[in-house]
Amino acid sequence: MRKSRSDKLLFYSLLPFAIIIIILFILLFSIIGLEAIPALKALGVKNLLGSRWAPSESSAQPVSYGLLPALIGTLVSSTIAVILALPLTISAVLAIEEYAPRRLREVLGSTIELMAGIPTIVYGLWGMEVLGPFLHEHVYKGLYGLLGFVPLFSCRPLTGYNIATAGVLLSIMIFPYMVAISRDAYRAIPFTYREAALAIGANRYEYARIMLGMIKPGLIAAALLGFGRAAGETVAVALVVGNNPSLSSCILRPGTTISALIANQFANASLYPYMLNVLYFGGLVLLIIGMIANAIAVVLLSGVRKRLG
Amino acid sequence: MGSRRGIGIVSESVLTILLLMVAGLLIIDITLQVACCLHSRQTSQVVTGQVIISGSGSTFVYPQMKEWTSKFSQKHPGVSVLYNPVGSGSGQTQFLKERVVDFACSDPPLSEEQYQEFRGRVLQMPIIIGAVAVVYKIPGYTGPLNLTGEVLALIYRGDIAYWDDPSIRSLNPAASLPHAEIKVLHRSDSSGTTQVFTYFLHKTAPNIWPEALVGKTLEWPIDATGRGLGGKGNEGVAGYFKQLDSAIAYLELGYAVENNFSIAAIMNREGKFVLPDKATMQAAIKGALEAGLLPDSPLDDWSNALDAIVYAPGDMSYPIVSFTFMITWTEYPSVKTDALKAFIKYINTEGQEEIIEGYSPIPVELRQINLKSLNIIRGAGG
Repeated sequence: MRKSRSDKLLFYSLLPFAIIIIILFILLFSIIGLEAIPALKALGVKNLLGSRWAPSESSAQPVSYGLLPALIGTLVSSTIAVILALPLTISAVLAIEEYAPRRLREVLGSTIELMAGIPTIVYGLWGMEVLGPFLHEHVYKGLYGLLGFVPLFSCRPLTGYNIATAGVLLSIMIFPYMVAISRDAYRAIPFTYREAALAIGANRYEYARIMLGMIKPGLIAAALLGFGRAAGETVAVALVVGNNPSLSSCILRPGTTISALIANQFANASLYPYMLNVLYFGGLVLLIIGMIANAIAVVLLSGVRKRLG
Repeated sequence: MGSRRGIGIVSESVLTILLLMVAGLLIIDITLQVACCLHSRQTSQVVTGQVIISGSGSTFVYPQMKEWTSKFSQKHPGVSVLYNPVGSGSGQTQFLKERVVDFACSDPPLSEEQYQEFRGRVLQMPIIIGAVAVVYKIPGYTGPLNLTGEVLALIYRGDIAYWDDPSIRSLNPAASLPHAEIKVLHRSDSSGTTQVFTYFLHKTAPNIWPEALVGKTLEWPIDATGRGLGGKGNEGVAGYFKQLDSAIAYLELGYAVENNFSIAAIMNREGKFVLPDKATMQAAIKGALEAGLLPDSPLDDWSNALDAIVYAPGDMSYPIVSFTFMITWTEYPSVKTDALKAFIKYINTEGQEEIIEGYSPIPVELRQINLKSLNIIRGAGG
């Protein structure tokens, strides 16, 4: 298709704004990368992926800046968040799109959208004041009593501030995003498919299953984007995770995540040799995790769009 | 023809991208320049006949500094003092290296290397005393609690896990302590409060708490037991502490008082159990002064001050105290000299009578040492 002169002009005048984003991203990525390199050079991958976080202000003492506990904490808390939020998301999408009467649908829809707009610090404070103590009293003690033989729950929960609470709080925080993405995918199902499903005599349950089957890649994409968000969440997690950088298989123990670690250590990091670089390295790892999750999600979502036309 | 057009578009877009990059760099450059000029305007000396003195640094001293600057401006309408709480480390950098502020406030004094580098050109004045309070919550017990540095070190190392441990009971024979597990709270961010607290543990119990465990942030042995919990900032620690029923924590005194937490009495060098308050904090400094542990001029090296005042001699001395230092040059542009001197004089005279809750004024002897700087600071040039 041939573009007219004015089309071209418009295209070139808009191009800068699109490219600024790309430039910013490249700058961001390269600066984080450049800042991370000294840590890699001086300490080596083995130290950075070790399990001990033992900083020292004097350069004479050996230091350990092991990010492994924080990395595992990030992956575990985000996974918990997605595992909890996914069934909620599916139920919410079906309830809103298929079952709820119109009035209720609007109320539900806008409430969930509102949830997405609440500042994360508010979630964090609520998590610290309400959610943590509640889960400790009513969930963790029972979990430990009943399932204490499972390594995940094998430690006595002393407080409500641990990886599990971070996961639960994150699931509440990513739920609205996952619902928004899944609802879009659900609405994209052409009407003819719905009619076809009903025409062959599918009952409500079967109908819902067919519809969900069609948006499966969309749901997975929602889960991955939710995972990326959860992995990057900082303030709320730092308030409920317990900030304990030690390695454990038990999710009822205080832990930490990369974002929480950065938030905690950044202010005075420049006083410690290489700590700033180590934190940038943590940021780089986080960025890469987020990019992988996002890339897969984008591919899956475009698949849904193609399939459903 | 199609392919030629394609090449044309490609080369055009490459050109566009290059142009954009140049434009982007220009924009960044301009922004930086504007930012720099705004910055220097902020610290410029005379704005419509008013002298502006700017400082930055310690967040710990900020509430008190706010009080001082507003009271001082009321008395000296021609001078405004601006203070930016960016943290002790950043304050030192902004003052010594970047030279964008007229004075800095820092909880740690200049390190020995830094002092040697700037020797004769900088003045250091301890202007206020702070204390780290050990707070506790014991199920079913609300009475007083005595602790020693050694017991605290054992608790923070994880060796003492229950409130009815014999070593705690022997310090508190009258208290009925339950067999409840102690949850141990510490700061998760790097902080001067942690440094003072761990320094105290090391000084009183070097065998239990080695020097490697002294610092603004460290590898807490208690974390390995799963009973350790890190809170971000004093607020974070206080937030966790409120939610727990059996816990111990260390906090800046102000936060402990403000939240009405139970504060433990700590054994000092003379074997007395002392609670932190204005009198016992001052006593610690007096004890250090009388023992000749502190320098007697703002020009001297103060890098060992923490060692002098933590676990200081004296019956009344509270053992976990800290200073905040005001750091200035010995030479200023003449316009600023008088204003800065007036501010230093105010802080070390009337200002010490206006100390807010959680801090303590410095003893009179120390004020006199600080006031020596009035004879040292001189104006230079226009």
